[in-house]
Amino acid sequence: MESIKQNPLVKKVGFNRIVLCIVLILMYALFCALTGGSFAGTRRILSALNYAYFLGFLSLAVTFVIATGGIDFSIGPVMFCCALMAGFSFTMYGVPMGGALVISLVVGIAFGIFNGYLVAYWDVPSFITSMASMNIAKGLASVFTKTQSVSWPQSSQDGGWFRSLVTLDGIPMGLIILLVIAVVCAVILNKTKMGRYILSLGSNKEAVRLSGVNVKKWEMSAYVLCGLLVGIAAIFFVGAYTTVQPGYGDQYNNEAIAGCVMGGTSMAGGLASISGTIIGVLIISLLQEGIMALGLDKNLQLIITGVIVIVAVFADVVARRRKN
Amino acid sequence: MGEVILTMKGIDKSFPGVHALDHVDLEVRKGEVHALMGENGAGKSTLMKVLTGIYKKDSGTITYEGKEVEFHNTREAQDAGVVIVHQELNMLGHLTVAQNIFIGREFKKGIRIDDKKMNEEARKLFDRMHIDIDPKETMSNLTVGKQQMCEIAKAISHEAKVIIFDEPSAALTEAEIEELFKIIRDLRDQGLGIIYISHRMDEIKVITDRVTVMRDGAYVGTLITKDCTKDDIINMMVGRVIYEDPKTKNMTPPGAPVVLKVDHLNAGKMVQDVSFELHKGEVLGFSGLMGAGRTETMRALFGADPIDSGDIYVNGEKVTIKSPQDAVKHGIGYLSEDRKRFGIVVQKSVAENTTMADLDEFSNGPFINKKKEKEIAEKFVKELDTKTPGVDQLVVNLSGGNQQKVVIAKWLTRNCDILIFDEPTRGIDVGAKNEIYKLMNQLAAEGKAIIMVSSEMTEILRMSDRIVVMCEGKKTGELDISEATQENIMNMATREIS
Repeated sequence: MESIKQNPLVKKVGFNRIVLCIVLILMYALFCALTGGSFAGTRRILSALNYAYFLGFLSLAVTFVIATGGIDFSIGPVMFCCALMAGFSFTMYGVPMGGALVISLVVGIAFGIFNGYLVAYWDVPSFITSMASMNIAKGLASVFTKTQSVSWPQSSQDGGWFRSLVTLDGIPMGLIILLVIAVVCAVILNKTKMGRYILSLGSNKEAVRLSGVNVKKWEMSAYVLCGLLVGIAAIFFVGAYTTVQPGYGDQYNNEAIAGCVMGGTSMAGGLASISGTIIGVLIISLLQEGIMALGLDKNLQLIITGVIVIVAVFADVVARRRKN
Repeated sequence: MGEVILTMKGIDKSFPGVHALDHVDLEVRKGEVHALMGENGAGKSTLMKVLTGIYKKDSGTITYEGKEVEFHNTREAQDAGVVIVHQELNMLGHLTVAQNIFIGREFKKGIRIDDKKMNEEARKLFDRMHIDIDPKETMSNLTVGKQQMCEIAKAISHEAKVIIFDEPSAALTEAEIEELFKIIRDLRDQGLGIIYISHRMDEIKVITDRVTVMRDGAYVGTLITKDCTKDDIINMMVGRVIYEDPKTKNMTPPGAPVVLKVDHLNAGKMVQDVSFELHKGEVLGFSGLMGAGRTETMRALFGADPIDSGDIYVNGEKVTIKSPQDAVKHGIGYLSEDRKRFGIVVQKSVAENTTMADLDEFSNGPFINKKKEKEIAEKFVKELDTKTPGVDQLVVNLSGGNQQKVVIAKWLTRNCDILIFDEPTRGIDVGAKNEIYKLMNQLAAEGKAIIMVSSEMTEILRMSDRIVVMCEGKKTGELDISEATQENIMNMATREIS
């Protein structure tokens, strides 16, 4: 076991990520076997993926916040708020589709600034801040839409072109965009000052502050980036589900956080992996699909994601304890 | 002295990069005060942590009351009667004295906590120690000395048979030390085994029966205190290590300009009206007891804590320092007494820590130039002789002395001209300690201005050109090295209290 871990190739890719990939493949094989082969097939996978992109963006978003040692429980409801406000502007106020998409991003960023400012400059615990903005997001969306659900246009309808962001003539555009943005996120995290400071302050904020670094600014930047990614997630959510209802969105918090921590991002901050997050999200989505394909109770998935979060966090705690 | 109560034999313990304990022996008898001595980093605290179950030993045996034992945590050790009185007090300031003493094993009346009984029991303990502390008093209202007495009361309340005192006198005044000794003698006469850790040679002669000396994590020998001289002990402690020559006169070039002037600085209770000047090429020592306000002064001046009033001048110009960012901008670097918490990011590499204070210099726009970063890190690893397998090594795997060098490299990378070393050799082993001294002298010779906060008298006398002494948040004296002695510094350090 140790010798495998020391192998230079394994070290480069990361032992955890290899394990995750194996889990992913085994799960897939298991579902294929259990469903008698109806689970396999590229088309089936691609259509299933359409429902997974938004979760990928949400998970990327929260990865940056968790890397600082914070947490964001508002991402799901904020995503709904983005989708509702942008969609309502399109259907009711006649804002063109391009403008509506921008509104989604702007709403996401606004919540990111709000959360980040309170956490970084006012020292409000991120737990509390995000709980509060979760409610604010739900309330704001309800007030803005007068508690009506909003349906985004079908591809044949006016403004339906935005769906080509998800699929275009059978090409999985969503997958391409998700991977491109994941690469951008990985570059930000590993190659830039922003990523360096985010990870460092997640590991030891006081030491970074005493090095003369503007920790407040960098801590807030993680939340703003998170907000932007949530705004993008909203677009892919409606691209898959079409209709959004005010007052919901919470359940996606857990799925996004589960994907993130399963991928090796430490809840204690300072350690994060973008590729891990993407694989984690794929596992969660596969699980969802598998449970549906097997005709099992959908709520089973809630239980399993809950267990995954606990197991992943516990594994991280154990690993840390062993290091000390 | 009675029969043997505790024997530690061949205790061995390694941490990544450090062989902390190398087959150490220790024997404690009933009714003796046994000194455990050695330089900082000699392994005394580590040995005690092995004894009380905080660390797991790699090999060796511990025999207690005739049976081989291994405690897995302090709780088990306490229950067996082996109790430690820590150097840093582990008290909860908002609770009362009695609540602190009985924390974790409160007396209960049904499901309610029986505060009355706890107060009574605490009173009995204090009576036994012949001291007068009100059990109902809130802990944070007591002086450091009184808090220490409460720690001892807590230790006794565990029906201790062996009590370990880890540098108990570091924060105490002369009068309080007298009181402490009275208590220790009492306990000894009641047949307890006492392990007493201290750096202060005079105390060792006064209070202890035997001395065990450690050096570089190894056992050197055990002596009977009354049969040996101070020099015997010092020789055993220092051994082959030859230190930098102590300074006998001020080495600052005459007419060196003032680079830092602090004028009537106030910051909370611990920094009251502190003024001093620092010259180019000078090492300015800050001496005083624990809790004298030296670290607080440095943190305020560095912008880490808010300033209430007072002016700071850098190179003759008045500056506003509201955050560490401002201080660094004016060329001030701060090396904290607590490296792990305030100095380094342990999960980052040597290179990443080296550029932490000056990352803009090593970036093109938002992107970090990792090649340039690696070059500067390698340059400083070489210059400071940092022992690390490579600059990609995580700092957590380095020994204390090498971590300190990484912090020094961080500030040198940033080109800071004023360096504040707060307890620069705390937790660093003896060989590395001398290297840090050498480095500081070298930096001063190159024209850096250095402030050195230190609680070790020998370090202050060895390194400083001038010495500022503080007591209870106030500056109580300033001396040139040529006129400084242990005695007059100690006088100033306790002036306010006595």
